[in-house]
Amino acid sequence: MLSSTFITASHTFLFTQPLNNNNNHSPLTTITHKKLKPPIISSSSIKSQSQNHPILTAPSLPLTTSTITVKLNRLASEFNTLTEPIERVKRLLDYASLLPPFDDSDRVPQNRISGCSTQVWVVSAMDNDGKLWFRADSDSEISKGFCWCLVWALNGAYPMEILHVTEKDLGHVDILGLGLKAKSRINTWHSLLLGMQKAAKDLLIRRELEEKAFCSSMVADDDHGGGVFANGKLSGIGIHGW
Amino acid sequence: MEVLLLKVPSFKFSSPICCCSISTRSSSYVKFGIRRFSSVSVSASSTVNEAVTEPSLAAPSLGHTTRPHFPILHQEVNGKKLVYLDNAATSQKPAIVLKTLQSYYEEYNSNVHRGIHFLSAKATDEYESARRKIATFINASETREIVFTRNATEAINLVAYSWGLSNLKRDDEIILTVAEHHSAIVPWQLLAEKVGAVLKFVNLNQDEVPDIDKLQELLSRKTKLVVVHHVSNVLASVLPIRDIANWAHDVGAKVLVDACQSVPHMPVDVQSLNVDFLVASSHKMCGPTGIGFLYGKIDLLSSMPPFLGGGEMISDVFLDHSTYAEPPSRFEAGTPAIGEAIGLGAAIDYLSGIGMQTIHDYEVDLGRYLYERLLSVPNIRIYGPNPLEKIERVALCSFNVENIQATDLATLLDQLHGVAIRSGHHCAQPLHRFLGVNASARASLYFYNTKEDVDNFIQALKDTINFFK
Repeated sequence: MLSSTFITASHTFLFTQPLNNNNNHSPLTTITHKKLKPPIISSSSIKSQSQNHPILTAPSLPLTTSTITVKLNRLASEFNTLTEPIERVKRLLDYASLLPPFDDSDRVPQNRISGCSTQVWVVSAMDNDGKLWFRADSDSEISKGFCWCLVWALNGAYPMEILHVTEKDLGHVDILGLGLKAKSRINTWHSLLLGMQKAAKDLLIRRELEEKAFCSSMVADDDHGGGVFANGKLSGIGIHGW
Repeated sequence: MEVLLLKVPSFKFSSPICCCSISTRSSSYVKFGIRRFSSVSVSASSTVNEAVTEPSLAAPSLGHTTRPHFPILHQEVNGKKLVYLDNAATSQKPAIVLKTLQSYYEEYNSNVHRGIHFLSAKATDEYESARRKIATFINASETREIVFTRNATEAINLVAYSWGLSNLKRDDEIILTVAEHHSAIVPWQLLAEKVGAVLKFVNLNQDEVPDIDKLQELLSRKTKLVVVHHVSNVLASVLPIRDIANWAHDVGAKVLVDACQSVPHMPVDVQSLNVDFLVASSHKMCGPTGIGFLYGKIDLLSSMPPFLGGGEMISDVFLDHSTYAEPPSRFEAGTPAIGEAIGLGAAIDYLSGIGMQTIHDYEVDLGRYLYERLLSVPNIRIYGPNPLEKIERVALCSFNVENIQATDLATLLDQLHGVAIRSGHHCAQPLHRFLGVNASARASLYFYNTKEDVDNFIQALKDTINFFK
C-alpha cells in the first residue's frame, strides 16, 4: 500500500471542504486543547427526528478528541436526513462526482482494497507533519461515493487517529440505510476503512524506520560521544506528536 | 381432473402436471391437478400429454401455483414487493420443508444410529428415509451411494482428500473448465500441490460454452479425473455429461460432476450419465442449508479411505488404531445435520410432486423469456450461449450493461425496486477473467418465478439504467 512519498499539506489534489463549508482551518489544531461537543445538526437540513429512525435513536457516541469522529457524525447526520433510498443514492453519487481524477498508473493490484465486490483503489501519503492524505477511486459510482466520504473523513489525520477508528464508529454511518451490522463481502464501506488503516500503519512503520535510520546515521557521524543522542533527546527531526 | 394419491414415492411426470397443494403431513399424500400453462409453448415440449387441450390464457403458470407455498416471497423490501431472482445463490423453501424442520425438533429430535429409544429410532428412520429419497431422486443404484455432507463444497473436498490423495500422484492430470465454481477448482489446487498433479483447463468456444472438442483432445492416459459442472452458474450452459463420462472412462479417468445447478432444476439420472461422483447442495433445491450430498459409485466409495475421523465412521476404536465403517458411514463423522437431512427429504418430496421434467420445461420457457427481454435492454451483454440459436440454456442470465458497474445495478435494483439479483464474480473468478470482466450481474430463476417477475425486473433494470444516465 506504500505509494508516493511525502506530500505537503498545501497540496490540493484532494477535495477537503467540510460538508457545511464552515470550518476552513486545520481541524487538528482545534482538537488538541479542548474536548469536542456533540455535533451540531443544522436545523435547516434536517427533518424532525423520527423515533423510528435507527441512526437517530442509536446510543450516542462517547466524546472523543478525534476530528474523524466529528466528520463521521456529520456524515451520519447528513445521510440520516435523507429517508428515501433514492435520495441517499443521489447524494452518494453527487459526492462520487467530486472525487478528483485518479491516475491510471495507480489502478494496480498493490493499491486495490480487498474485500470489496467492486474494484476500489487507494493511494496514500504522509506529509512533513506526519498527517496522512488519501486518494481513492472505484469502477462503481456508489463505491466512489463511499471513497469520497471516507477520504474526506480521514484526510489530514494522524495515523494513530486513523488506526483508532473502529468498525463500530463506522457502523453508525449507515449511508445506504441498509442497517448492515455484520461485515459482509459486499461491505465496501468497512473494507475501505480497513484498507486505509493498513495504509496508515504501513506509512507509520515506514516513517519510524526512516527516522531510526536517520538517527543511526547521526550517531555514527558523531564520534565525540555527543550529538543528538548525547543527552537522550532527539533534535532536528520533525516528529510531531499524536 | 384431480387425482388423490396416497404415500407417493418420488416419480417423474412426462406431462405438464403441477402440484397445486401439498399436505402439511410430510409424505402422507399429494394432491395433483392437471394444469394447462398459458406460458408453456405446446410445441416446445414433446412430452405434452395428448389428452391436454390447447393452453388456456386463464390457466395459471407453475410459478403462480407454487408461489403461495413459499412464505418468504410475500413481503416488501425497501417499500416494494420482493422480486427474488437470486436462486442460483440459494433457493427459497416451501412451507412443507419449514414444517418438517419444526416437526423434527418439536417431536422427535434425537441423535441417529446410536440410541435404541423411540425418539432415536424415529429420527434414524427419517434420516435414512431422506437418504433413500436422494438415491431415488438421482437414480443411484443403491442407497449406500449417497453420503451426506455439509454441502457440495464439502463433498468435493471429500473426494479430493479421500479418493484424490490415495489415487493421484505426480504428473497425473485433472481436467477442468475455466467456468468451474471455485469449490470445484480450489480443492484440486490444494491436492495438486500436495501430490504434484497437474490441472488442465478447457477454455470457452465461440458460443461461450466450454469447448468440448478441446476437452476431448486434452484427455490422455495421464488423465485421472475430469471435474466439470453439469450446468454453469454464470453461462447457463449445459454440458453433455454422458459423452464426457464415456470419453473419460475410455482413457481410464474418473468423472466428478458438480450438479448444484442441475439437480434442482431438471431430472438427473446418475446411472444414465454414468458418472463416478456427483455433488449437490440442499439449499439450492428448496432444502435447508447445512446439508448436501456426494453420490459415488459404491465400488469407488468402498475403496476410499476416510475423510474426517471421529464417531460414527468407525467400526472399532483402540488406543493404537481404529477400524472403519463401510460407506456411507465411513464418510459421515460426527453427529450429522439430522433435521436438515430430513428437511432435504421433504424438499425432494415436494419437487418430485411437481415433477422435475415439468419444472425443467417451465424454466426453459421462462429462461428464454428472460433472455429475450434482457436483449431489449440497450448496451447489454449477456454471457453464455444464445438460446435463439438452439443451444440449451437454463433460466439464468449473467450480464453487464455498458458503463454501469454490476454492483451499482444490483444495489439500485434492490434499494429502489425490491429486486434481488446478484453481482460480483459468482465464485467464478477464472471465468470472469476469461470473459475480460471484473464482475457481472446475474438474475437466476426458479419454478416459483413468473413472467411478471421477469417483467418487473426488466422495467426496474431500465429505470436503473436511466438513473445513471
